[in-house]
Amino acid sequence: MWYGIGNTGLPNPAAAFVEVLGDATANLMFGAADIGQGSGTTMTQIAAEALGLSYEKVRVTWGDTRVTPDGGATSASRQTLITGNAVLKACEQAKETLAGVAAAYLGCQPEELEFSQNTVTKIDDATVTMTYKTLMAEMKAAGKMAVGAGYYNPTTTTLDPNDMSGIPYEVYSYATTICEVEVDTETGEVDVLKVVSAHDVGQTINQSMAEGQIEGGVVMGQGFVLMEEIEVSEKDGSIKNPIFSKYIIPSNLDVPEIYPILVESEGGPGPFGAKGVGEPALIPIIPAIVAAIEDALNVQFTKLPVFPKDIVAAVKEKEAADKNKNN
Amino acid sequence: MTKEYSVIGKSQVKVDALEKVLGTTKFAADYNLPDMLYGGVFRSTVAHATINSLKLEKAKALGGVEAVLDFHDIPGKNRFGIIIKDEPCLVDDKIRRYGDALAVVAARSPEILEAALALIEVDYNEIEPIFTFERALAADAPIIHGTTNIHQVKHLVCGDVDAAFERSDIIIENTYSTHRLSHMFIEPDAGIAYYDDEGLMTVVASTQNPHYDRNEVASLLGLPYNQVRVIQAATGGGFGGKLDISVQCHCALLTYHTRKPVKIVRSRSESTMVSSKRHPMIIKAKTGASRDGMLMALEVQMTGDTGAYASYGPAVITRAMAHCTGPYNIPNVRADATFVYTNNPMGGAFRGFGVPQVAVCHEGQMNQLARALSIDPIEIRIKNAHQIGSKLPTGQILENSVGFIETLEKARAKAEDVL
Repeated sequence: MWYGIGNTGLPNPAAAFVEVLGDATANLMFGAADIGQGSGTTMTQIAAEALGLSYEKVRVTWGDTRVTPDGGATSASRQTLITGNAVLKACEQAKETLAGVAAAYLGCQPEELEFSQNTVTKIDDATVTMTYKTLMAEMKAAGKMAVGAGYYNPTTTTLDPNDMSGIPYEVYSYATTICEVEVDTETGEVDVLKVVSAHDVGQTINQSMAEGQIEGGVVMGQGFVLMEEIEVSEKDGSIKNPIFSKYIIPSNLDVPEIYPILVESEGGPGPFGAKGVGEPALIPIIPAIVAAIEDALNVQFTKLPVFPKDIVAAVKEKEAADKNKNN
Repeated sequence: MTKEYSVIGKSQVKVDALEKVLGTTKFAADYNLPDMLYGGVFRSTVAHATINSLKLEKAKALGGVEAVLDFHDIPGKNRFGIIIKDEPCLVDDKIRRYGDALAVVAARSPEILEAALALIEVDYNEIEPIFTFERALAADAPIIHGTTNIHQVKHLVCGDVDAAFERSDIIIENTYSTHRLSHMFIEPDAGIAYYDDEGLMTVVASTQNPHYDRNEVASLLGLPYNQVRVIQAATGGGFGGKLDISVQCHCALLTYHTRKPVKIVRSRSESTMVSSKRHPMIIKAKTGASRDGMLMALEVQMTGDTGAYASYGPAVITRAMAHCTGPYNIPNVRADATFVYTNNPMGGAFRGFGVPQVAVCHEGQMNQLARALSIDPIEIRIKNAHQIGSKLPTGQILENSVGFIETLEKARAKAEDVL
């Protein structure tokens, strides 16, 4: 599976603001909506790493149009790449001022400094060091402020209307999923037993969140192939099964053993090389389950969903065909 | 990785974990304000019709009802949509799907709201509804929007596909079909609108894109963007289903007319009925390869039903096309896609934007090819996998961060270990 990160061949920027305060804590503001996937946490980690503060020192505000700049949609697995880079740029701007003041205080050049875990240190001489709090006091004395604003728009081109040539996405995520299923040929029920799902995320920002995305995607994919289908009335176009008692999704009892694997690949344009995993998490399990059922039954399925009745019908059809062959 | 990070890569506790665990997180439905009204929507029960009459008088006369509004009460533009502005806040010309919004009501209690909605009467002039791709394209079919039922057509081509098929040792042909699905995010759509102490129109909503919502609310009310504030409430999932306008504009319109806070909370049924759905697609694929399993040519034809409104349809079709080869080097590709409008539920953004649909096809083709040539399914993928320097059908050259082969190898190693 592959998945291009961000909107297809279109500009889709996002922005962020940051301010490091007098007590060496920071306020970070950006538009990107966190809908449970954890972008608020991801951006906090990116800002903390970039500013050299510990995670707890960064306070985040998102999704308020009077306070935060536009982050665009939380879609297309784009926020880690795009808002992530905007956060990085905002932090770099603030850090430029900080590094100038720290360098003057420590008697070295700004580029010789490393900001990490609430301390500023000369890279090749650990004895030349100051706390972030001291730095902020120096900033105050100098009448300077550690603020930054950044935005990022991924490099794409408009696709040619005749042949779709161009650069649709700046970077792609990749994944491979392998699964084991057990098929009951009498009832047609499919149990997904074990799933291995390896994802090239560029760089992991938060390991447990990335693994959680992959696990959630696997379960949603099970529903996609084996359980879920919206039924539309041919009479009036209404949805016949809009409630959970009629539209059955996987429950905890359906969750297989899942082995998420995070693969890191270098050189990408994202913050620290990170790409997106939100949608890639779902996609590869879908064809993997179909392939596993095909492998178990030696029957091809090209029409989704694959419900128990479809399995039973396919098994019967195959038995009849085999019988004919033997006759 | 060579660089040691102090925060990146670590499993930090989510910034909003504590409130979630304690159950104190405030979702949009949890907001309550003094003098707050309960908002609701009167919806169509037919898929395609003009309106002879919409009778609001009885609902307006009911005690405890503070506003009953139809499209005449919209001060600004009555069209929204992330890509194509073709969806009305309240129907003005015709109904295009079951569940189209015809009127909104604000009342002092949920019970009065329900009673008022039941008092609204509508008389339809029905038009033949279109529920299939084929019927949408028929010469005598009624037109749903504008001058044609064709929503989008896309064409992708690179190399010489016909010549490559002639040189191929093996050709695999299949037709795949995928179905309509619902996000079933755990929290149904909800929001509240109010004027804040400074008189600023404010909407707190469950959403995936507050800045887009702000622009649409401003456009609906004829206000400058900075006279509207949208705040994303803690949001219980979305998966693409909360990228379209849901309750934001209806709440804001009712607050605009009543000057009071108005909250709308959709039931599960209403939420599922009118939020976007995954596009069902039919994908015909023809793959040509050499006998040692190297891909040579691909021809794809896909069709899709985008339903009554565009929503994210154009993004789905474009992304599906751009991904139709899968992560494999295929030098000769020809792909065509046609999406149509119908009177079915609206197709829109749903985790993957058409890529899950095409992945069923490109991975299905690879598996069939592996089987036909008796090549291991992982090996045939490694042979054809994208690497640094690969050229895509769009002409793009991959320059960095291509870890596909490593995912294949690592997944295989782990599978050998645990499966």
